[in-house]
Amino acid sequence: MAAANGIGRAVLPWALTLLWIGAIVFALLLFVGAPFGEAISGFLQGAFGGRRHAYLMATLSRSALIVGMAVSVMLSFRAGLFNIGGEGQLVAGGLAAALAAILLPGPPLLVLVAAIFAAMLAGAAWALLAGVLQLYMGVPLLVGSLLLNYPIRYIASYMVAHPFRDVPSGMVQSHLVPQGTWLASFPGTRLDVGILFTLAATAFALVYSYSTVHGYHTRLNGLSKEFARTVGLPVRKLTLQTLAISGAIAGLVGAIAVFGIHHRYIDGMLVQPLYAWTGIIAVLLVGMVPWAVPLSGFFFAAVQTGAAGMERTAGVPKEIALVIQAVIILFVASRVSGALSSKDGGRGGDA
Amino acid sequence: MRVALNDVSVRFGQVLAVDRVSLAIEPGEIHALVGENGAGKSTLMNMLFGLVIPTGGTITIDGVPRRWASPQDAIGAGLGMVHQHFMLQESMSVLENIVLCAEPVGRFGFVDFAEARARVGAIARTHGIGVDLDRPLGRLSVGERQAVEILKVLYREADLLILDEPTAVLTPQEKSRLFDALRSFRAAGKAIVLITHKLDEVMEIADRVSVMRAGRLVASSPLADTTREEIGRGIVGGDLPAPRTRKAQEPGDVILSVDALTVARRGRDVGPISFKLRAGEIVGIAGVSGNGQAELVRALTGLEPLRSGSVRLCGERIDSLDVERRRRLGMSYIPEDRQRMGLALGASVSENANAGRDDRAAYAAGPFLKHRALARFARSLIDNYRIRVAGPRAAAATMSGGNKQKLVVGRELTRGTPLVIAENPTWGVDIGAIDFIHGELMRMRDAGHAILLISTELDEVIALSDRILVMYAGEISGEVAGGEASRDRVGALMTARASDAFGEVA
Repeated sequence: MAAANGIGRAVLPWALTLLWIGAIVFALLLFVGAPFGEAISGFLQGAFGGRRHAYLMATLSRSALIVGMAVSVMLSFRAGLFNIGGEGQLVAGGLAAALAAILLPGPPLLVLVAAIFAAMLAGAAWALLAGVLQLYMGVPLLVGSLLLNYPIRYIASYMVAHPFRDVPSGMVQSHLVPQGTWLASFPGTRLDVGILFTLAATAFALVYSYSTVHGYHTRLNGLSKEFARTVGLPVRKLTLQTLAISGAIAGLVGAIAVFGIHHRYIDGMLVQPLYAWTGIIAVLLVGMVPWAVPLSGFFFAAVQTGAAGMERTAGVPKEIALVIQAVIILFVASRVSGALSSKDGGRGGDA
Repeated sequence: MRVALNDVSVRFGQVLAVDRVSLAIEPGEIHALVGENGAGKSTLMNMLFGLVIPTGGTITIDGVPRRWASPQDAIGAGLGMVHQHFMLQESMSVLENIVLCAEPVGRFGFVDFAEARARVGAIARTHGIGVDLDRPLGRLSVGERQAVEILKVLYREADLLILDEPTAVLTPQEKSRLFDALRSFRAAGKAIVLITHKLDEVMEIADRVSVMRAGRLVASSPLADTTREEIGRGIVGGDLPAPRTRKAQEPGDVILSVDALTVARRGRDVGPISFKLRAGEIVGIAGVSGNGQAELVRALTGLEPLRSGSVRLCGERIDSLDVERRRRLGMSYIPEDRQRMGLALGASVSENANAGRDDRAAYAAGPFLKHRALARFARSLIDNYRIRVAGPRAAAATMSGGNKQKLVVGRELTRGTPLVIAENPTWGVDIGAIDFIHGELMRMRDAGHAILLISTELDEVIALSDRILVMYAGEISGEVAGGEASRDRVGALMTARASDAFGEVA
């Protein structure tokens, strides 16, 4: 009886949330005169269906980048470092990957490895720059990391618009990277193996967060800087190391985008889709609980591709599809963060 | 004004903080409300004052049932409360603070400060409270701030005053002035509730005493009908701990030597301070809070740089080392603020217990944590220090104040370092935990560790210390031997300026 009661209590709020989402989406669709059933099936098809699951693969491909960025952000946030410069670190990584692959001679596999390494290094360096600004010049990390997004974005634009531009293509983009460095696709699909890198990064982040001394220490620093200092944790070192790890993962994501999807650096390719910002929202949605972060990233990717599917099949205008996307995210966010924070954080303060 | 609580209860989630308490507060009486931390004293009074909504029972004033939606209603009905943490505006003057939100308004809607000044002055004179009304509040000592809080309550014509542990922050002299003022209120027919956990104060001033334990009222009677021992038994639910006996021992080698240390502070630097601390002795640093103790501790522990001077730990210069290296050389630190510095409240008990350990090999294999070793260590602290908590995986925030402090004390003392710095180690914890923590510090001393005890609680310093250094205005104003005999001398050394707070007629 009590157990049934407990399950009821856990399920009921979710049912209510779904009902609200349904009602609002229904009203919106009624408003634009789109068929409800068709729109919903378009949404689900767009996120998970398609011939031979082509759309599911698109969702997964997008997840690879969003989850990667979410994991990168999570490591910083859990350490109490509000590094919101993921976008800059991502761009630094993507640019470094593309340039390294174009410039380096040698066997493709070696070039690929070196380019990925360069991407991670570039991402880490860009994140460290924000850390150094905070520790040695007093620029708050929140501000420094955010502002550092802009110079790197325009440096990248300049690089592919001038010195490394693929002029004949007529676009602002670099030359293609050597074909031998392109990441293979899973057999019979258009999904590249880049997602395996993301999975590896996620596995690393989970093990790091739950089972390493370094992860434990950074978490304490994240929960209370005063406490970390008092018990003698090397706060500066932890800060810089964590930022470097975060930045390296963001750089890796940039490399995945280059070698798996675009095969070159196209101006704005990492900025316009808002991968970094979606990653931040995905982390905040689940209150930085590590195991939930990849699921949250996948959810965001699915909502985005689903909304696009709805637009295609049911003729729902793009703007309304975006509003529906926002409604879903808002309601789920209120539910999830409420549930996780009441379970995880709990009561504070004492007598 | 006669206030009665009838069968009132307060529930916070699963916890019954106040369990069917009935209590009558009579005019012209000082009513002491005693009990351990978490016994429900403050909750009961917060409820009476409208800060907490009762889940059952009624409040009657002069026989009329009343119900408050907010403290504003309670103030309107003639209740006043002086909280442990003052609620004052630093940048405003004393007078402005007192009349804030109850300003006498003249014609054209301007505040009539002349009228306010006259009224506040009259109240202060009646009860012998002396405070300069024009000084900015930020420049006042703690005792003076408390006087301002009390004037604020009187200015609103309260007939019932609730004081929540008012003496916790006062020097002995300030305390006696406060008590003079309270006696004057009693003579004026006001009802006074004094929340405290110091039995001496109860015996000194109360007319009636009520004892709470675990949310229940276990006794309530006129002071004349009870004894100190009976009250003590009511508080702890058993006999009071026996007074501590100290093992006579010769102090050993010098462990900590501080030479002409100065630390930067806003206004005037702290120091120069010089002293030596030997193995097997407890040196107490007494003084009113804010006389440079905090800066001294932060400089010793490495949380703040020194301006000049030197510090040696076991013969090695440590003044330019970071916190980690100092701890590794042989320093443990029990900070005053367990909520922010002592613990990471969002982390689990185990995560807190294992923080700052030096024996990395015991809890880690390469970069990986040995989760079982962590839990085992936390479990051993929970057992050895009798910490009441669900288990190593429980969140630190779920423990009561006393148990939090025991966890901090346990973590630091288990390191077994030559030097232990304990800063107000029993601040805000209940009698049982105080006794336990004192016992542990004493045990460390007897085992040959050097203990620096910084405390604003005079009783604590006197009970534990072999020698007492008194800090005043950033310097050591004198050294006396430990023990009851030096109480007056210590009191005199720590209170050169306390005369401003209570006493002289304004």
